[in-house]
Amino acid sequence: MLRVNNIVKQYAAHRALDDVSLQVEQGKIFGLLGPNGAGKTSLIRIITQITAPDSGEVIFNGQRLNSSHISQIGYLPEERGLYKKMEIGDQVLYLAKLKGLSTAEASKRVKYWFEKLNMGSWWNKKVEDLSKGMQQKVQFVATVLHQPELIILDEPFSGFDPVNAEVIKNEILELNKQGATFIFSTHRMESVEELCDNIALIHRSKKILDGSVTDIRNHYRNNTYWVEYNGDFDTDAPSAVFDVLQKNVVESKTTLKVKLKEGQSANQLLALLLPVVNIHRLDEVIPTMNDIFINQVTAKD
Amino acid sequence: MNKILLIIQREYLSRVKKKSFIVMTLLTPIIFAAFYGIMIYFSIQGIKGSSNKIAVVSSNNTLTEQLTPTKNTNYVYVKQSLADMKAQLGKTEYDYLLYLPDFPLDAPAGIQLIGKKQAGLNLNTRVADDIEAIIRTQKLKASGIAQEDLDKLRASVEIDTKKIGESGEDEDSSAGASTVIAYVGGVLMFMFILLYGIQVMRGVIEEKTSRIIEVMISSVKPFQLMMGKIVGIALVGLTQFILWIVLTGIISTAVVKVYTGGKDLKETTISKDQASTTSKTTTVQEKEEVKALKEATANSPIGNIQKSLANLDVTKIVILFLFFFLGGYLFYSALYAAIGSAVDSETETQQFMFPMMMPLLLGYSLSLSVVTNDPYGNMAFWLSMIPFTSPIAMMVRLPYGVPDWQLALSMVLLIAGFIGTVWVASRIYRVGILMYGKKTSFKEMIKWFTYKN
Repeated sequence: MLRVNNIVKQYAAHRALDDVSLQVEQGKIFGLLGPNGAGKTSLIRIITQITAPDSGEVIFNGQRLNSSHISQIGYLPEERGLYKKMEIGDQVLYLAKLKGLSTAEASKRVKYWFEKLNMGSWWNKKVEDLSKGMQQKVQFVATVLHQPELIILDEPFSGFDPVNAEVIKNEILELNKQGATFIFSTHRMESVEELCDNIALIHRSKKILDGSVTDIRNHYRNNTYWVEYNGDFDTDAPSAVFDVLQKNVVESKTTLKVKLKEGQSANQLLALLLPVVNIHRLDEVIPTMNDIFINQVTAKD
Repeated sequence: MNKILLIIQREYLSRVKKKSFIVMTLLTPIIFAAFYGIMIYFSIQGIKGSSNKIAVVSSNNTLTEQLTPTKNTNYVYVKQSLADMKAQLGKTEYDYLLYLPDFPLDAPAGIQLIGKKQAGLNLNTRVADDIEAIIRTQKLKASGIAQEDLDKLRASVEIDTKKIGESGEDEDSSAGASTVIAYVGGVLMFMFILLYGIQVMRGVIEEKTSRIIEVMISSVKPFQLMMGKIVGIALVGLTQFILWIVLTGIISTAVVKVYTGGKDLKETTISKDQASTTSKTTTVQEKEEVKALKEATANSPIGNIQKSLANLDVTKIVILFLFFFLGGYLFYSALYAAIGSAVDSETETQQFMFPMMMPLLLGYSLSLSVVTNDPYGNMAFWLSMIPFTSPIAMMVRLPYGVPDWQLALSMVLLIAGFIGTVWVASRIYRVGILMYGKKTSFKEMIKWFTYKN
């Protein structure tokens, strides 16, 4: 649904985006990852038409991105705020109308969302009277109110307590089920694993990795296993099958982290162990997004 | 376009609904009316206060001509001795005691003006002039000139300032009143531009510090947001200005009506009282005094303003004021919006505020000094052409009369000027509003200006 082709964005002496291309599929949740200052926000600002790229193009539903798409995109920036002196209800209405909703339609939807998220009593309150978390909720409603096809969330969970974070997460999943596509920018890798179908990792203005979360994690498997057993096994003796990375012994129980050598499989490892010890568990270490992130970013540094 | 209207609506309503706006709008005309009332009161009091009753004790045998009462000094010859009068001073109706000792006409000396309070320089000069006049009259008579010839010589001089209008007809004008109107126009223009220009800057900074800007910019173009704010606040200014004019008009007319109505009634009762208790001559005198008072009121600054307001075509001035306010405001507010977008907080605006206020302040002070002194000079011309100063300078020049072609040229230049500043400002604004945490300099802003979209 969204294709970013060879985007370049130059700020005076600094190149914020260098030939970045990526693709967001319809109905998926797409994670846009990268360390601070990598260029994520610059890319989002181009997709939301806040700024324009120096070269390259963005294709939205087969059309080159233009101002008619504004109403189909919802954007929750990381640095977000509301008019402090304005009443909440009026404010959300105003933001919805700026996205092209009629007054009647906008107020119907605002009421629906306020009801849904238990914000009914907030209508006449001013922003300055709300807590940070409450403000975030208002902002979330303002972002999704006009039923955009594409919703871009930049660190959507910051400032929420676990209960409200869960509420928002469920809303995201529900909207996704109804067909909304998400671009999701965050540093919290556990939520990436939980929510995202696909990701792109941007580092130093360049895309260094993209693909589906499962593929990437599988790709970065490196034949490492956890083994837990009872009994004696000489781990110090050199082996043609594996190298020991880590060893813990608690009473009679031993836990090993091993990396298999080239061409070896878990079956060979088991064949070695089975005659000697009682095996409790054997599982493969699949790298977390966190590991991959750190790995990729530090490798390039 | 629809979005700009929404923004204008929000900017307008959020300000007009504010308590401070309502209070200011209602209170200012009352203050204006009170000020107007006080001015009338004091101008009448001033005339009354300068009318003195002077008892003349003359022990002079050579001076036979008598001092005659004038508009502001009422001489009454009394028979009592100087010592008696001195003792009675303060208890009698007389304000001062004039003693004319026996002196030869060629060398008048020893004349005394005695009062409970020190006689002012003004009164002193007047009395001296009056005495000199009667000495001269007596000398002229002594040289054989008849009274009627003397009467022929006397002339009362009053200067009427007139100005030849465009059409060639002469119009009544008053240099004083024009100056007052010029001042009021200039000061109001300065205040309005500064006040509302700074409101634009505050609004921009508020959007930036509250971080709503990025949400807004993902829905509307920076230019729409900036123009919506500028136009919305301009409408607030117009609303306030029009309400002020209407309310001031209503309150002033009401106050003046009540005040003058009561005054007339009081005057007639006083005259009646006077007529029944005092002799006929004093009644006539009192009546003359009242008449003089009315004349004086008409000639006072207030009277002059009213008179020349009638001649000056107020509608034209008000309409032009609105035009130049809008033009000047648009010109400056765009620049203020650019500054607001470049800073993170209001305290950071200082370094930009001064250079931005300089032309406005310069226009203000030069207009009120140079232009009021020489409203047709070169300086006045250029000040009223350059858009940085023209709104103020033109307001100051208007009451003195400005040729139509100059007015038109100035208006065209102002329109061109604000289109220019809006263009420059919007280029700085679109970059500035998304910049945080950097101390901005003018150099930086010029760099932003050259950025592509």
